[in-house]
Amino acid sequence: MSRPNWQSIRAVVARDLTAVRRSKAIMLPMTLVPVMLLVVLPAGTAFAARTQDASGVSDFLNRFPAGLTDPIVGLPQHEQLIVLVNGFLIAPLFLIVPLMVSAVLAADAFAGEKERRTLESMLHLPISDRDLFIGKTLVAFLPAVAVSWLGFVCFAVVSNTLAWPVMHRLFVPTALWAIMIFWVAPGVAALGLGVMVRVSARANTTQEANQLGAAVILPLIFLAVGQATGLLLVDVPVALAIGAVVWLVALLLIGRGIQRFTRDQLATRI
Amino acid sequence: MRSQRGKRPVRNPLLSARPQNGKSLIPLDVVPEPLVETSHRGAGDEVVIRTNGLSRAFRKGLALDSLSIDVPAGRVLALLGPNGAGKTTTVRLLNGVLEPTAGQSRVLGLDPVAEGDELRRRTGVLTEQAGLDDRLTARENLLFTARVRGMRGQPASSRVDHLIESFGMGEYAYERTQGFSTGQRKRLALARSLIHDPEVLFLDEPTSGLDPTATREVIDLIAGLATRHGRAVVLCTHFLGEAGRLADEMAVLHRGRLLAFGPPAALAARLWPGLEAELDLGGPASDTTVEALRSVDGVLAAHNAPMGARVTVTGREVLPRLVARLVAHEIPVYASTPLPKTLEDVYFEIAGRIPRDGPGLGGIELGNGTEPAP
Ligand SMILES: Nc1ncnc2c1ncn2[C@@H]1O[C@H](COP(=O)(O)OP(=O)(O)O)[C@@H](O)[C@H]1O
Ligand SMILES: [Mg+2]
Repeated sequence: MSRPNWQSIRAVVARDLTAVRRSKAIMLPMTLVPVMLLVVLPAGTAFAARTQDASGVSDFLNRFPAGLTDPIVGLPQHEQLIVLVNGFLIAPLFLIVPLMVSAVLAADAFAGEKERRTLESMLHLPISDRDLFIGKTLVAFLPAVAVSWLGFVCFAVVSNTLAWPVMHRLFVPTALWAIMIFWVAPGVAALGLGVMVRVSARANTTQEANQLGAAVILPLIFLAVGQATGLLLVDVPVALAIGAVVWLVALLLIGRGIQRFTRDQLATRI
Repeated sequence: MRSQRGKRPVRNPLLSARPQNGKSLIPLDVVPEPLVETSHRGAGDEVVIRTNGLSRAFRKGLALDSLSIDVPAGRVLALLGPNGAGKTTTVRLLNGVLEPTAGQSRVLGLDPVAEGDELRRRTGVLTEQAGLDDRLTARENLLFTARVRGMRGQPASSRVDHLIESFGMGEYAYERTQGFSTGQRKRLALARSLIHDPEVLFLDEPTSGLDPTATREVIDLIAGLATRHGRAVVLCTHFLGEAGRLADEMAVLHRGRLLAFGPPAALAARLWPGLEAELDLGGPASDTTVEALRSVDGVLAAHNAPMGARVTVTGREVLPRLVARLVAHEIPVYASTPLPKTLEDVYFEIAGRIPRDGPGLGGIELGNGTEPAP
């Protein structure tokens, strides 16, 4: 198989990103959700920790097996709320960001091409099926990771700054966060993408793709939310394992997607 | 190789007579064999497009059924047929976008299935849908294509700017294509299909949805392109007027089957022996005049017409003799006008043979606003 033609791939990525930047329907959720999760929520927690008595946190923590909550229980009581929320509970919620961004962008990149009726003229260009797939994949994956990381930087700054009067030290990122950022988040971005690649083959419009995709992705989000409310407080090895599973499923989905991503198949569904 | 263009008298479709569906000599079965006329070809003609039994099935059935044609360089092939005839499918197959379910093709000597990208580097396609991303400007849309086609930096920009300018879209270059009219879109898409100076140009319904002025402009643009040396143009259309103006060769498709293929004049010669001509005698010819006409050597048929007579002769050389005979009878002759058959005439003759069990060749639109002949 020939080497990827990076000029063509770059052209696809650049075109789609330019177009996406001008689309309110895409930019709005892509900024709003990260801002809510990674700025508003931690800021609220920090304010709460500064003003309120946090005895409720101990009761909450006591419901868990001792081993899992050790790092928090050992802390002074006034630090517990903020470390619990900003250091641990937001971490899994944070995964909604790469998942959502990659899913929204992948729906636009794959199903949107059909919807806008630009697919046929694209297929008549000298870009190989594989390069087109790589380009479309990157269009979803790179911004998902970039937004996640940027969001995380904002989160770390907000958490540490606002919590300083309580904590008097930098407490984010924790080891758990580091795994989330560098291992699980890119995996989740790939997973959202993989789901949407498969779903977009059946959908004729972006909206249809998003609806189908949501049917697959929403349960994942509930899992993350469930985790965040303390049903499954993960520790570092568990996070590593979850990341591995996510990557595995994502790569399987993407691998299947690339096999079906042939000109003939695409042209048949124009 | 010489283009057929020079030999065929150019006629304004607006002035041309209604198609005269004279009786054909070739009887046809229910499923007609295609009428193929390629005897005019020189042995040295370089074939740019060749298909052999090219077929494509979808779940509903065959969209293209055993297409076998070859098109030499420097020709404009009009691919004619009503909606659903298989024109777009043919273009997709020839450019390696769809894969055939049977048969093969070669375009520029390349196999569209195995060497698709190599082929697509050298072909240009104007798709039926202009396929512009409305979130991008006119210029950005074209620059994207230029980049995928391997151009970059300054050369890409200046090529794009030049094309946009020469297609009269200069003042819209930096506008998003969102609000563009169909005509503006077509022009932009046509400019885009020419970015890399393609050796084979596929035009799928280039004038559909255009108003008469825009149609005229696009046709003029295509006519200019088509005459450039060594390029082949495949023009899919169901507007016969534009096809008649541009085409050196015609292929008629109906429900995926080839009904006829060849230069319109050569096909006409097969369908209608002889040449039709109109004699302007200042009024309807009398029976004796018609009799006199029929007695001239080389006259195959003659009958009277509102302004004189219609004759069918074996060739042009018969006409002066006809006129001489009339003058000898002291009948004034104001004009004698040969009426060569047009692509439209050929099309409707072919179309008229299709069994009337289905939708037939409906949906055909004439460039001159006349109704399809029965
Ligand atoms: N992707 C497809 N799936 C199923 N049927 C198709 C597809 N593309 C074309 N067809 C069918 O093939 C036939 C020829 O279509 P097409 O080549 O688009 O005709 P034309 O361009 O002459 O209007 C039509 O009956 C059409 O419905
Ligand atoms: Mg078509």
